[in-house]
Amino acid sequence: MSTTALGPALAKKRVLICVGSGGVGKTTVAATLGLRAAVDGRDSLVCTIDPAKRLANSLGLSALGNAETQVPASALEPLGVTARASLHAMMLDMKQTWDDLITRVAPPDQRERILANRFYQSLSTALAGSQEYIAMEKVWELRRKGEYELVVLDTPPTAHALDFLDAPNRVLDFLDNEAAKWLLAPALKAGKLGMSLFNRSGYVLRALSKFTGTEMLQELSSFMLSLSGMNEGFRERARGVRALLEDASTGFVLVTSPHPERMDEAIHFSTLLKQHRMEVVALVVNRVHPLPTEAMWQDAATLTPTRRAKVEETLRELQVLAEQDGRGIAQLQAACPGIPLIQVPRFGLDVHDITSLWQTGRFLLGDDTF
Amino acid sequence: MAGLLDKRLWVVSGKGGVGKSTVAAALALRSARAGRRTLVCEVNTQERISRFLEHPAAGPEVKLLEENLWAVDVRPQEAMREYGLMVLRFEALYKTVFENRLVRYFLRFIPSLQELVLLGKIMYHLQEKLPDGRWRFDTIVLDAPATGHAISFLSVPQVLVQTVPQGPMSREAQKMRDLLVDPAVTAAVLVALPEEMPVNEALELHAALKDKVHIRTHAAVLNQAIPERFTEADLEALAGHPELHRVAQANHDRASLTVLAGTKLERNLHAPVFNVPRLYLPTFGRDAIEQVMGHLEALVMGDK
Repeated sequence: MSTTALGPALAKKRVLICVGSGGVGKTTVAATLGLRAAVDGRDSLVCTIDPAKRLANSLGLSALGNAETQVPASALEPLGVTARASLHAMMLDMKQTWDDLITRVAPPDQRERILANRFYQSLSTALAGSQEYIAMEKVWELRRKGEYELVVLDTPPTAHALDFLDAPNRVLDFLDNEAAKWLLAPALKAGKLGMSLFNRSGYVLRALSKFTGTEMLQELSSFMLSLSGMNEGFRERARGVRALLEDASTGFVLVTSPHPERMDEAIHFSTLLKQHRMEVVALVVNRVHPLPTEAMWQDAATLTPTRRAKVEETLRELQVLAEQDGRGIAQLQAACPGIPLIQVPRFGLDVHDITSLWQTGRFLLGDDTF
Repeated sequence: MAGLLDKRLWVVSGKGGVGKSTVAAALALRSARAGRRTLVCEVNTQERISRFLEHPAAGPEVKLLEENLWAVDVRPQEAMREYGLMVLRFEALYKTVFENRLVRYFLRFIPSLQELVLLGKIMYHLQEKLPDGRWRFDTIVLDAPATGHAISFLSVPQVLVQTVPQGPMSREAQKMRDLLVDPAVTAAVLVALPEEMPVNEALELHAALKDKVHIRTHAAVLNQAIPERFTEADLEALAGHPELHRVAQANHDRASLTVLAGTKLERNLHAPVFNVPRLYLPTFGRDAIEQVMGHLEALVMGDK
C-alpha cells in the first residue's frame, strides 16, 4: 500500500538506523517507524538514546529503562487501530550496556579490575565514538537473539558523522594495533609492564611522559594488559557489528531539517554512508513548511482589512520559509541522486503524542503527501 | 542587569539546531562593535560563523575577520600540536615524539586528552597578552557543542583534576578549571527555541553547568520567538475559512508556546530571557546576524 521507499523497508529490513544531526526529529521518526511496523504485523523494538522522556510519553510508557518494555495496547487506542504484532521500546543506558558487555566477555577474574579502571570508565563514557559503538553493539546483540522482526535504532546526537560509522573500526583498531603488541609482548613475558614500556622505547616515551605524566602511561598499559584477556570475544563482536552495518537486511534512514543551513551536514553524512557501503533507504526531510496555496491568498482577500493584513503577513512569512525549504531540498536531492526523498510537513505543534506519531507515519509511508 | 561585557569568556550552548552559532556570531559581533578585541571559537565542527558574517572560513588558526573580530575553528590535531610544542618546546622534538606511530596510538586512548587540548587552546587565548600587557582578546565567545557534549567538554578539567595522577596534564587541568569556575571571568548563555524539548534541555544544561562544572548561567536566549498576532476573536472570525484558520491557529499556538517557554526559562534559570523573533529572510547571512544582534543589545551592553 505504501508508496514510499520506507514501505518495503519496514516490511523486509531487520534493522533500521535513524541518523542525522541533533534536533532534526530522529527520535520521532524512529518511534513512528517502529509503530507502523508493529501495526502492520512485524514484532518491533524501538531503541532510543535520547535521554529525554519524550518517546516514553508518546508511547504511553511511564518510564523507559535499559530493559525492553512492551507498549500497552491502550496506548494505541486514540488511533482506532490495533497492532497486529507487538511493539516494544527501550531507552539505552550507555554505561549499563558497556558494563554488561564487559561482564559478558571478560574473564571472571578480570571483570572487577576492568570495571573499576578509570581508563575503562572514560572508554565507556567519553571516548569519541564509544556511545555510538555501544548503541550498535546492542542492536547486534538484539538482532542475534532474534526476538524481534525489526529493530529501529535512534542514534545519539553525534558531533561527527564519522565517529558513528568508524566506531567498530576504531574498536578493532584499538585491539589489533601492533603498537599495543610491541609494547605489551615483552611485558606479558616478563610480567613487569611498566619497566618494559620505558626501557624499550627510550626517549620517545620519556618525552611523551613529560606530556602526560608517567603514572598515566603505566596505568594505561596495565589497562590494556587486562583487556588482552578478552580480545578475542571483543574482536568477534566488533566484527559482527561492522558486518551488521553493511548487511543487506540493515538500512539507514537519514533524517534532516529542510533549512539550507543544515543541508551540508545531511549531504556529508550521506556521502560517508555511501563510502562505507551502507544503504540509505530514505532521506527524510522533517518539518517542511508547505507553500501557501493560491486559494488561500484569494480567501484572505475576502477578510476585513485588519484581519486580512494579519493573515497575509502570516502567509508571506510562510512563503519565505517554504521557498527556503524548497531550495534546501533541491540542493539535497541534487547532492544525493538516487536516494528516495520523503517530506514530512511541520505540524501545528510539535510531535509528542501517539496521534502525531501516526500523522508523521502517514507522510513517511506515503498515505499522505504534500 | 549587568551586561556580558563585564565577563571575558562567554559560553554559548543549548540543544542541537536551536541556533547556537547564530547567537554566538551576533554576540561576538556586538562585542567587537563595542571596541573589544573579540575572538569567536567554534569547536571542531563545520564552520558556520565566518560564513554567516560573509567572510572566508577562518580554519584552525586564529584569523582576523574584520575590525576587532577574530575567529578560529579549534581542531584536535592542530591544538594537540600547539599544546605539544608548548610542553616540549622544540619543533624537532615534537616531530620525533608526536609523529611516532606508537605515540599517536597512545594519545588517542588517553582519556579526554582531545577535549583537554581543545579547551586548552581556548583557555590559552584567554590568558594571552600583548607586548604592552593588555589582553590579546578582551572577549572570547565560545560556540560550545550541544548540551550533552558541552557538559562533558566543559567538565573535562574537573574530571581530570579528580582522576588523573599528579602530572603535567592535571596541572593544566587545574589552571583551566580555575578560570572556568571564576564568575568574574566566565558566563554561560543558554539558547532555546519555544518548543518543549529545547527548553527542557536548556534547564538540564543549566543544572549540569551549575552543579558539575560550576559555571553560572548569565542569561537565556529564546530564539525564533513568535510574537502574538491573532486574538481569540480573530480565530473565531476565521472559522469559515478552514485553511486560513489552520494557519492562524498554528501561529497563535506558537505564540502561546513562546510565552510559556519564556516563563519556564525565567522561573527555572533565575536569569533574564532575551527573545529573538523568528526572521523571515530569503537567505541567512550578515543581515540576519545584524538583526539578531539588535535583539541582544541589552544582553551584551546591560541596561542602564
